[in-house]
Amino acid sequence: MKAQVTHFLKNLVNIKGKNKGLVLYLDDQCAYADLLTELKAKVSDPALDSDTEVTVHLNKRYCTDSQIQELSGVVQTNPHLKVVATTSDILTVEESDQMIRERQSETYVGIVRSGQVIKAEGDLVVIGDVNPNGRVEAGGSVYVLGRLKGAAHAGTKGNRDAVIAASWLEATQLKIDDELETMTDELSSLSEQPEMECAYLHTNGTIIIDRLQELRFIRPQISTFKGGS
Amino acid sequence: MGEAIVITSGKGGVGKTTTTANLGTALALQGKKVCLIDTDIGLRNLDVILGLENRIIYDLIDVLEGRCKVHQALVKDKRFEDMLYLLPAAQTADKNDVNPEQMKELVTELKKDYDFVLIDCPAGIEQGYKNAVVGADHAIVVTTPEISAVRDADRIIGLLELEENIDAPRLIINRIRPHLMKAGEALDINEITTHLSIDLLGIIADDERVISSSNKGEPIVMDPSNAAALGYRNIARRLLGESVPLMSMEKAPPSLFTKIKAVFTK
Repeated sequence: MKAQVTHFLKNLVNIKGKNKGLVLYLDDQCAYADLLTELKAKVSDPALDSDTEVTVHLNKRYCTDSQIQELSGVVQTNPHLKVVATTSDILTVEESDQMIRERQSETYVGIVRSGQVIKAEGDLVVIGDVNPNGRVEAGGSVYVLGRLKGAAHAGTKGNRDAVIAASWLEATQLKIDDELETMTDELSSLSEQPEMECAYLHTNGTIIIDRLQELRFIRPQISTFKGGS
Repeated sequence: MGEAIVITSGKGGVGKTTTTANLGTALALQGKKVCLIDTDIGLRNLDVILGLENRIIYDLIDVLEGRCKVHQALVKDKRFEDMLYLLPAAQTADKNDVNPEQMKELVTELKKDYDFVLIDCPAGIEQGYKNAVVGADHAIVVTTPEISAVRDADRIIGLLELEENIDAPRLIINRIRPHLMKAGEALDINEITTHLSIDLLGIIADDERVISSSNKGEPIVMDPSNAAALGYRNIARRLLGESVPLMSMEKAPPSLFTKIKAVFTK
């Protein structure tokens, strides 16, 4: 009954067609229960009878994971609809802090010795050597101003654009996202004098080693510098 | 108040115990009062190398458990007047029978009476290592020109750098074979020091007589004509603050005969 009343006042669920499917825009001011009721009514519209991919947009409403699941569940009561994404315009303070951390660059000055592991959520700059059996890990890219002789893992949380660069790239293992490369003799790209080199993930999923100078063409997005003359 | 120096390496068999015995002896020869502590409980060796095995009455565990006073357990080396003492490890216990607090207390106590307390650390990075480093003010890392020994040294240096009470560790490269280094078949001194990037305290030549003299219970450093002995004596002088240049291979000084010969062949 209540739902019907609000229904007259305002449309709580707006459906719009986008290039590949539908976007459901959900009102962010009404009660959650009313939203569910209206969503149920909207998706059971018999006109929605072809298989469609749906994005649920929450506007400025903050939903918990279980609420998001509930909303998706309601949409998928119509067997033709499949929720492929849930988006919203807001972040919690925690999520925002996490994003800041992941975009920051952390600097470690010293030698990463055997058995030591240095981790950063964003980019990691090591000023010093990374010795064999030492390990450096970063959510973003790894830059070593020194000899990288241990193992390096960039893009630990799935950033496949992350790179590993070192003054001397002589690592035992390189890993970007979940692609691992063991730097054995069989690897044809290993150079005799691995000075000023970088490693990146090719679109075919293999790790490529190249001159550091090529990085500006391979990953121009790494450069954050704006302006200058 | 003296200083406590732990001698460690991570890897076994690189010469920690030999180094402890020889450095201790060299410091005693320089007129310093030295106490050596063997912390390799269960696998003691330092007493054998010093030739003091038969004189052990009490050991480290007896002291820590209060069965005797420290001075009762200390074995005096009669060759060096009143300058060199050994606190032997127990052979019938193991490393877990000692805790770091007890060791710290003991080392602090000994530092009051001795100029140098040298602590011989067991191989490994477990309890025995922790007991050995806890009371130390300085650390000496012993390695050999082998990749495995250098890797372990790197690991140990990483752990030592985390210890707040210990100064930056210093390095001794032991068992150097000049012909292998020259041929590029062993790591050279430069490679090792840049890799580990800590101060080099000294280098010791590989010499068969080090083994034979250890077997006799007479530290090689007592023989001043030996190359390895010279290396140890130089290290002792550096520990005392002298600046002794690193010799090309810490070779023994040329004999009188070769000096005369050099004059004529000029």
